[in-house]
Amino acid sequence: MSTRADGPLTAREEQQLVEGMLTGNEDSVRALYARFARPIFTLGLRLLGSSEAAEELTQDVFLMAWRKAARFDASRGRLSTWLMTIAHNLAVDRLRRESGASRPRLVLVDELPEMIGTDEEDPLIERDVAVRALESLSDGERRLLTRAYFGGLTAREIAEADGIPLGTVKTRLRTALIKVRRANQDKERP
Amino acid sequence: MNCVLVRELLPEMAIGVLSDHDRTAVEQHLRWCAGCRKEASELGQAAATFAFALAPAPVPQGLADRVVARVRSASGAPGTRRRARTAAASVIAAMVAVAGLGWGAVQAGRADLFRDRAAEADQRRVTALEQFQKVLSGLPVRVSTDTAHLGQLAPVAGGIGGGAALIYSSPTVEDFAIVIVSGLSRVSPSALPLRVTLENPVGATLGAGRITSLDADGGGEVFHQFAGDIGSYATVVVRDAAGHVVLRGTVQRGATGP
Repeated sequence: MSTRADGPLTAREEQQLVEGMLTGNEDSVRALYARFARPIFTLGLRLLGSSEAAEELTQDVFLMAWRKAARFDASRGRLSTWLMTIAHNLAVDRLRRESGASRPRLVLVDELPEMIGTDEEDPLIERDVAVRALESLSDGERRLLTRAYFGGLTAREIAEADGIPLGTVKTRLRTALIKVRRANQDKERP
Repeated sequence: MNCVLVRELLPEMAIGVLSDHDRTAVEQHLRWCAGCRKEASELGQAAATFAFALAPAPVPQGLADRVVARVRSASGAPGTRRRARTAAASVIAAMVAVAGLGWGAVQAGRADLFRDRAAEADQRRVTALEQFQKVLSGLPVRVSTDTAHLGQLAPVAGGIGGGAALIYSSPTVEDFAIVIVSGLSRVSPSALPLRVTLENPVGATLGAGRITSLDADGGGEVFHQFAGDIGSYATVVVRDAAGHVVLRGTVQRGATGP
């Protein structure tokens, strides 16, 4: 099948790509790779810390996506969300497994993610959406999400580190995520 | 776990830092609670957005070819020797979705006061079965829907769980049956293995394999090939180790429902 290389996919196009992948259609796999390999690899690099581990993660994500392809339903969520959730869960699971502890071994990450500029040449629409969504957050909210999402810290661990009530951390996490979600709603798929 | 507790945990689930124990409990709740499922979906989308905010790193050369090779190998696309086996795996993958939704429909049926839940589960089941038919038509090994008999498995009275079954009868390739079960997490390990049999209208019975273990969701599957024709066998029965019926169902040609 042929699919546009840029611009947001419609729900139907997303469903067709995933169904093509399920049957091993090379064009479908390459179309998915062209759109999502870079953010997946980048996420792996950030969470796992090495190019080798990020490459392995990228391969694992596409393999896991094939295994779960029959469960994907474009009417219930976006393909980008589905793939990045698989990527993040695999990366965090790997960290937990390797550390042998109940949480990822990552050091505390205090800095914000390396935010990209809106003049980025990459056509991937999700990046533009991400930047705009994160601009809706306060510095404190961005830092909190960074520590949890990229640092793998649980709400309890953040609460203990900062000396604030667990419930406060959970509420702030939820509030920050809802802000991001609301900012995204202006950029829903066509 | 109730909605209040689940919603408290959803942000951490979206961010991927929930413990395995809590994640399993939340996932079980989400199977039947549309409200919490919607919230989980929205928070998950928000968290995934965060991943895209990273400055993109250059991807190693040749990675695309390695990814394509792994997926093609796994999917059994033309050119690999595991074609037939992985075609069956694709069917299983599709049936897992059907079976899972079948279980959801059973749960919805038990909560029959909540009509919206039942209606939603029914719609999802229809969608999944349509998707399943599409998967069948796209398999690298041709599995004609004319000879693929599909149906759902339901628990006996007072029981739990559900499943799906495919009986494939063909004049050109070996007949096979695939049975997927799910939602049997309350089945005791001592009740394993589960034995799957096919029955025809005149009472003949064929063994179709055993499910020796269940995953955390109480799911499992069996794939069994037959030397002879199984086209007349339309009833699928799953029994526990003591011989008690756990699930039962009937397959139909081109079936779109139980």
